[in-house]
Amino acid sequence: MSRTPSGRRLAGLTAVVSATALLAACGSGGDAGGSGTSDGSASGTEAAAGEPIEGGELLYLEYQPYTTLYPPQSGFYPNGALIANITDRLVYQDPETLEFSPWIATDWTVNADATEYTFNLRDGVTFSDGSPLDAEVVAKNFDAYGLGDAEAGFPVSEQINNYVSSEVVDADTVTFRFSAPSPGFLQATSANGAGLLSSDTLDGDLDAYAPGNGTGVVGSGPFVIAEETVGTEILLEARDDYDWAPAESEHQGRAYLDGVRFSVTPEDSVRIGALTSGQTDVIRYVQAYDEAQVEQAGLQLFAPQTQGVNNSLSLRFTNGILADIDVRKAIVAGVNAQEVVDTVFTPNYPVATGILSHTALGYVDHEAELAYDPDEANRLLDEAGWTLGSDGIREKDGQKLTLVASEAKPQPLSRDTLTLVAQQLKAIGVDLQILAADSGTYAEAIKDPDQVQLYHSMVGRTDLDVIKSQYASTNRDANLSDDAELDRLLGLVASTADPAARLQASADAQQYLVDQAYVIPLFEEPQVYGAQDYVQGFGWDTVARPVFYNTWLAQ
Amino acid sequence: MTYALGRVASAAGVLLAAFTVAFLLLQALPGDAVMIRFENPELGLSAEQIASVRESYGADVGLLAQYWHSLSGFLGGDLGFSVASGAPVRTLLGSAIPSTLLLAGLGFVVAALLAAALAFGAILSPSGWLANVLRSLPSLFVSVPVFWLGIVLIQIFSFRLGLISVIRPGPLEALILPVLTLAVPISAPMAQVLVRAIDDVQAQPFITVVRSKGAGEAWILLRNVLRNAALPALTIAGVLLGELIGGAVVTETVFARFGVGRLTADALDAQDIPVLQGIVVLAALAFVVVNLLVDLVAPLIDPRLKRRVHA
Repeated sequence: MSRTPSGRRLAGLTAVVSATALLAACGSGGDAGGSGTSDGSASGTEAAAGEPIEGGELLYLEYQPYTTLYPPQSGFYPNGALIANITDRLVYQDPETLEFSPWIATDWTVNADATEYTFNLRDGVTFSDGSPLDAEVVAKNFDAYGLGDAEAGFPVSEQINNYVSSEVVDADTVTFRFSAPSPGFLQATSANGAGLLSSDTLDGDLDAYAPGNGTGVVGSGPFVIAEETVGTEILLEARDDYDWAPAESEHQGRAYLDGVRFSVTPEDSVRIGALTSGQTDVIRYVQAYDEAQVEQAGLQLFAPQTQGVNNSLSLRFTNGILADIDVRKAIVAGVNAQEVVDTVFTPNYPVATGILSHTALGYVDHEAELAYDPDEANRLLDEAGWTLGSDGIREKDGQKLTLVASEAKPQPLSRDTLTLVAQQLKAIGVDLQILAADSGTYAEAIKDPDQVQLYHSMVGRTDLDVIKSQYASTNRDANLSDDAELDRLLGLVASTADPAARLQASADAQQYLVDQAYVIPLFEEPQVYGAQDYVQGFGWDTVARPVFYNTWLAQ
Repeated sequence: MTYALGRVASAAGVLLAAFTVAFLLLQALPGDAVMIRFENPELGLSAEQIASVRESYGADVGLLAQYWHSLSGFLGGDLGFSVASGAPVRTLLGSAIPSTLLLAGLGFVVAALLAAALAFGAILSPSGWLANVLRSLPSLFVSVPVFWLGIVLIQIFSFRLGLISVIRPGPLEALILPVLTLAVPISAPMAQVLVRAIDDVQAQPFITVVRSKGAGEAWILLRNVLRNAALPALTIAGVLLGELIGGAVVTETVFARFGVGRLTADALDAQDIPVLQGIVVLAALAFVVVNLLVDLVAPLIDPRLKRRVHA
């Protein structure tokens, strides 16, 4: 059943006529928007209007086309949004409490040093091509993700560390072994990066997951890719026989919606206009300056948090100027993150108070050490021998205190953020240039500490390993680090089996990053969605990718 | 016959040159597609993993070998695979071309009609000020940025008046605003050239002769002037093809249409050389074909050119 755009418009009008309905919707939208989503609520249906209604097709406007459906590359939003809805995972992680509960695995055991994980699987689960989801295929999935496959072009998943092998114990039991403790593995099995695919799908190479092949990527999730028009549209259809939602979900059985249509609409003003004029149901990527428009139209605004390493600027200390810790400390003290949030963003982007988001696992509050203090910044720079030149920029031995920050296209309003930071740094005599470049120049420049000294990035994953992903020299290496002590501390986070000791390892790594003034945290990054007031039960996973399983249309 | 063969040979030469120049220019850009896709820190891949990816994509061999590989592929009809996504270039182009062809074709027709209407209006207008307004409209049209025009049209006709849906519109509905957006800036140079050519022809002695025989202005314009003034407009139409392709990049992004324009923008951003090579050769082919058509049609409009052709 498909609803026409004019039907949608009419529905919008009816809602406007009913003043109470409008107020109720405003209330729930406003809550989600105003609270800074500190509760990390997994769904926007606080004021759900009665019993869910089955049926209907939801239209979802996406900002960019997807690039691949290979699960380990689900970090890119458009990829993750599809994988989250067409695949199931072994374990479910609650987006709010971050606790684990059974999904495809009914239960699991981990040995004391976290080098061996055994999962018991639920019976009767099938992929949408009819093949059974058994221990054999689960092993095949994790062998691909954990070991990679050079011939097929599969890189090793960033989220799975130290993976060695799988063993099919019996039809519904599978064991995974690791060369060293891998305490983050349980969380990895719950993430989109380990979405379970059918055996036939895994036989394809990386190119088989490329745009145009969407209908051939087969998962066991509540939705199936039924139609694809390359670059513009994907239609997800609900599976009638879906009956294996996470155990903690109240809703079991098939999804309420008959289908979800993903439509790529790159232009911001067109997505917003389409929402406020009633031509679509849900949109992704509402820019901070457009939030008010959505709220004024009486529509719902959701801002789930990505709950990982905060949106921040990493200082490349292998660069000559930034090798001096006092200069780094001065620059950290010279940036006013509160002003960035107040000027460029909204309360949905809480000011960072540490390396990690305050809803992330292992978060430690470093607000005092990161405080804005221009006097201290000036003092430190004076002491370090950087004297103010006639043009207001400091210099030392004939060298200007000029730094370059990279404009990062994936980060919301990166250019505006950096422009404001440059103004703030100007006040302490630091000249910050902004590198706005094409992808090729950018890809090259960000790997050279002499071209880019302040690197703008973030990463979302609800496991303690996230800090290692961002800062380890073998992973994303945001600082282009040569600091063995930093790598050692991060290595401990990823390889300490004891939960309490692992938390401590994460805290130590955060403390070290702050003490060394390696990072300027700016804000906790949300993903902002706008939705019509009749859209109920719109949900999201731990890293704010949309989940349509519980969504229904109240009309 | 020799003429036709010569034209085909020169067309092939143009295509080869376009392919080669595009290849060299794309190689000269910093970075490459493998770097952009796989060395993205967000994938967290190690240096060895990236090296093996490089090898599997053949990105580690010399420039000449890469050139020869992709050229021989093109000659055999194999356009290769997108480095950014792995999709076959043929599939991508195949799904992009029809939509762009329709958009650009209609855009061109509407632009021609608009240009003709402006030119006739300006020439035949009884009042001086209206003629002035119509004569200055092309200057305004040519300075309107395409993306701005697109967004304004959407805001007015779709979001405010609700007349046209831009999200999942019907097949006809989907074309109205994009075609208009594309046609307005293209119509401007055509109208300018047409007005200018009409002015020139009208100043010629033979028009005075016709007029002295008692012919009306409209009759003169249609019967005598237009035939002589159409040629420059037709010639510039061939050149405007480039503008159509450029306009499609913006129009397709604003109106969320997938086509050659969107594909170009995305491929350029990802330095997706196989896709860009395909687009460059396709665009060169379109240029060659359109200009060939213009050259073949021109003698039909202006018989004076025939002698040169058959000489």
